[in-house]
Amino acid sequence: MAFGLFGGSSNTDSDKTASPVPVAPLSTSTLGANAAQAKKLIQEQISQELAIANATELVQKITENCFQNCVKNPGSTIDAAQKKCTEQCFEKYMHGWNLVSRAYITRIQQSKYDI
Amino acid sequence: MPELDSQALASLDAESRKEIMQWIDSENSKAKVQSSIHNFTDMCWKKCVTKDITSNMLDTTESNCMTNCLQRFLDTNINVVKLIQAAQK
Repeated sequence: MAFGLFGGSSNTDSDKTASPVPVAPLSTSTLGANAAQAKKLIQEQISQELAIANATELVQKITENCFQNCVKNPGSTIDAAQKKCTEQCFEKYMHGWNLVSRAYITRIQQSKYDI
Repeated sequence: MPELDSQALASLDAESRKEIMQWIDSENSKAKVQSSIHNFTDMCWKKCVTKDITSNMLDTTESNCMTNCLQRFLDTNINVVKLIQAAQK
């Protein structure tokens, strides 16, 4: 427990060989590295899942709204006007999202200070 | 991306667990805010973008409408909370 606590700057090579204990209780430095690695992995996986959930939600909402706005009479194919409308609608929706996002976050922050 | 294995998770000490829980809490609140933004945008878009779409930008009327829609929705939310609080007394 006493050695290898401080960032492992001095005896990096001897750390592995110095420990007389074979496997079971991990040396502090090994545990630290594993924990840091595991922490990083957990954060990466959760971040990625959140990003996917967010993107899925956005795709869902844009599809619904732009379909409603642009494909009023669904025919045998999406025509050029509907495609163009969808493109514009997509960008327009993103602008709307950003507008709402900024206004909402500003308001949350203001109400935080009010309380 | 490498897979998380249970051994790596088991190797986490109490301090790391605490840090991760705190991080997850903060990511959770961010995700909730984001989810609300999705719902508000959806709701206000339906109210405010009623004309045919001919531009990739919101015009002044539409963007004012979106902002007002959000603000008045939040006002309404606060009013409903007050009404419920009043009803409990």
